[in-house]
Amino acid sequence: MNSAAGSISQPSRAVTASARLVLLLLRARAVLVLVLLIVLFSALAPEFFTANNLSILTKHVAITALLAVGMTFVVLTGGIDLSVGSIAGLSGIAAGYLLTQGIAFGGVAHYPPVAIVVLLSICVCLVVGGLNGWLVTRAGVAPFIATLGTLYIARGTALLISNGKTFPDLGDTAGRGGTGFSAFGQRFVLHIPTPVWMMMAVFAIAWILAAKTPFGRHVYAIGGNERAARLAGIRVGQVTLLTYLFSSACAGLVGLIIASQLEAAHPATGESFELNAIAAVVLGGTSLMGGRGSITGSLIGAFVIGVLAVGMVMLGISEFWQMVIKGVVIVLAVAVDQLQARLQSRLLPFLAQSDQGAGR
Amino acid sequence: MSQATRSMPDTVLEARNVTKRYPGNVALDRVTFRVQRNQVNVLIGENGAGKSTLMKILSGVEKPDEGELFLDGQRIALDSPRAAASQGIAIVHQELLALTNLNVSENIFAGRELCRAALLVDKERQDARSDAALQRLRKPMNVRCETGRLPLGCRQIVEIARTLDQGSKILILDEPTSALSASETESLLHLIADLKRSGVTIVYISHRLHELLHIGDTFTVLRSGHIVGECARADVTRQWIVERMSGRTETSCANELVPAFANPTVLSVRGLSLVGSVGDEAAQAALHSLTFTLREGEILGIYGLLGSGRTELVEALAGLRPIASGEILLRGETIRIDSVRSAMKAGIVLMPEDRQRDGLFPDLSIRENMAMSSNRTFFLSRDEEARRVNRLVADLRIAVKDIELPITTLSGGNQQKVLLARCLLCSPAVLLMDEPTRGVDVNAKTDIYGILRGLTAKGLSIVFTSSEIEETRLLADRVLVLCQGRIRAEFQRDELTDEALFAAASPSIATSGANPPHLASGHPA
Repeated sequence: MNSAAGSISQPSRAVTASARLVLLLLRARAVLVLVLLIVLFSALAPEFFTANNLSILTKHVAITALLAVGMTFVVLTGGIDLSVGSIAGLSGIAAGYLLTQGIAFGGVAHYPPVAIVVLLSICVCLVVGGLNGWLVTRAGVAPFIATLGTLYIARGTALLISNGKTFPDLGDTAGRGGTGFSAFGQRFVLHIPTPVWMMMAVFAIAWILAAKTPFGRHVYAIGGNERAARLAGIRVGQVTLLTYLFSSACAGLVGLIIASQLEAAHPATGESFELNAIAAVVLGGTSLMGGRGSITGSLIGAFVIGVLAVGMVMLGISEFWQMVIKGVVIVLAVAVDQLQARLQSRLLPFLAQSDQGAGR
Repeated sequence: MSQATRSMPDTVLEARNVTKRYPGNVALDRVTFRVQRNQVNVLIGENGAGKSTLMKILSGVEKPDEGELFLDGQRIALDSPRAAASQGIAIVHQELLALTNLNVSENIFAGRELCRAALLVDKERQDARSDAALQRLRKPMNVRCETGRLPLGCRQIVEIARTLDQGSKILILDEPTSALSASETESLLHLIADLKRSGVTIVYISHRLHELLHIGDTFTVLRSGHIVGECARADVTRQWIVERMSGRTETSCANELVPAFANPTVLSVRGLSLVGSVGDEAAQAALHSLTFTLREGEILGIYGLLGSGRTELVEALAGLRPIASGEILLRGETIRIDSVRSAMKAGIVLMPEDRQRDGLFPDLSIRENMAMSSNRTFFLSRDEEARRVNRLVADLRIAVKDIELPITTLSGGNQQKVLLARCLLCSPAVLLMDEPTRGVDVNAKTDIYGILRGLTAKGLSIVFTSSEIEETRLLADRVLVLCQGRIRAEFQRDELTDEALFAAASPSIATSGANPPHLASGHPA
């Protein structure tokens, strides 16, 4: 910056401190909104802030959170994944098929153990994710179009496999060796439901990937400036492909959780889930243009959507109004995001100047 | 000297006691700037001196916090660029704002389309008037040609034609030549002389001193928001400008030379060829069997005009462009370069020409930008990274307050140094630099030259391209002149003259880059 500017007007420490505070509040706004909502609903509905309700709420949120956290990397590269809902559906159907029909081998149906079923179902999802990545990085199809296509492909495939029907009775059924699939999404470990454990595990992995590994750094770089990323020696195609694989694996997990909870696999499972996931990502402050955002933000975004939904139900707000309010919240979040970007560029000179005085 | 120019009758536009503040920064401090009628008014200053702010105020983009504007002695208020245009003041920005998806005449009339029946765009009339404006500039081109397909020099002409058609009396050119090749620049300077003759007043901003001295009539120097010198052409010297600008006397960069003749060869390129192609994004000039070597600790300059293949050459060596044929040897061993990574692995790193487009990650911090290419471990360590970054910040004398601040808080020269640091962190054997000091002020330039000299003394070998004769002369130990994809000449440092360099770079046939004859298909008026 201008070296003489400091001598022309030395900003006072108070200005600097308030600039920092404003920026911090804006960055943490998703948390603020979440806290505000919880306080509001707790005040209006006494039964809202109870251990039982919060447990149900978290289990509910885990679905959106898994999808949102998974998709965050894709969005950070400047892409989008519309296929996650369909992939969740496909994953459930794949598991349902394997559990009820088994693998025909020498004329006899073999029923694989649950762990194998889970792995194979996730692998099916990875194929779709790989297709997404291939279309975007090799075939040069815009992410929106590529994943819109696979949205239909995956949903259609799920319907074809099940012939449009539901695979019922996925729970422990004798004759198939008492599979224990229902435990996958229903059990409690240390009083915490398994979906919540999975959410926490995926969040931890994603957070470490984003913040602590070159992979995460490269994802941000690609979203910020793809040309520069290529020139900096980043394998742009490979990194982008990995983001789509990660997203599809998370979506597959969601499909398995739902199938396990319902003890049935329905081919229409997960319809419009992608919209909730995108809403959570955006609420968390991740820019759809790529390069800016965080994993933690997406988790908080998912909680905001979950708390809003459960809270409004408990208050008895009509379903139609719920939709309107959810839409307003999403639009407001993005508007505030723009405000933050503008304010940040205004306030940054203060921070850049202040350190001059501090003599770092 | 201000006494002499005060209240002279030929002041057409005056900014009187103008002050403009930005948060934490006074960009202009009670500046009085007079624009002399029908002259080329040159405004000089380093990056951040306030030139652009002053021009934004004169063209209605920004409003001053204090102070007044006078046009022909009448007080005026400029609320918007549109208001300025209606007063006959127009600006051609440093970054050309041409709408590349529209054609030439659509660009000339963008935002003020001529209409038939107040609704339908009158293309015929627009085309005719565009054609007339371009004829006046003596740069006829096909007005239906998509702007994106034109070279930068032609896009600039289109912008000037736009201002001309608006009937502008005062034309502000903000660093018009920073993206142009030497021949395009020359053609622009001719054009400015023409415009002056036809009664247009020019305000000209540039870093390139030789251009300014060539065309300027009156000179004004800005430094840190103050006017520190005003002078007529007759009294201006190069020394005077540089002293006023930097506040210190010019230091010669021609420091002691360590001859690299005896050093071993690091890189040798044999018969390198590239297939040429046309098109908007993928356009590239062909290279025809280039053969040259680079010694350890040597700085090799590649001089050439726009389209000579200089950028293509360094980008091919960096793995960005597919090589058609040829052999590349690094320290005597043949290496295969088919991607940026393979080049990097071999020890060849490119610092790109356009740092905004190809270099920087605007959302990331200075530390993250600098360490981008050099992380080899699976987990990042912030402390270790900060150590590496801070060492280079000190080595390269980068003016950084906090390495966690966004890269966008740095000035152009310091951003350039951050990119240099990123390349150095890959510990390359050969550093390729495409226009090493583009858009960097004079002081930072000298600084960067010094740093590069220091690096070569430690054994780094550098290949750089440049379209500036001065830079080539100051920096290179040896110069290859490229012309139409072939090496036309080679000069050692001591046998280098500006004239010889320029002569070698100019194509022998009369196809000057700014105005190829095939574009000169005039539209029927």
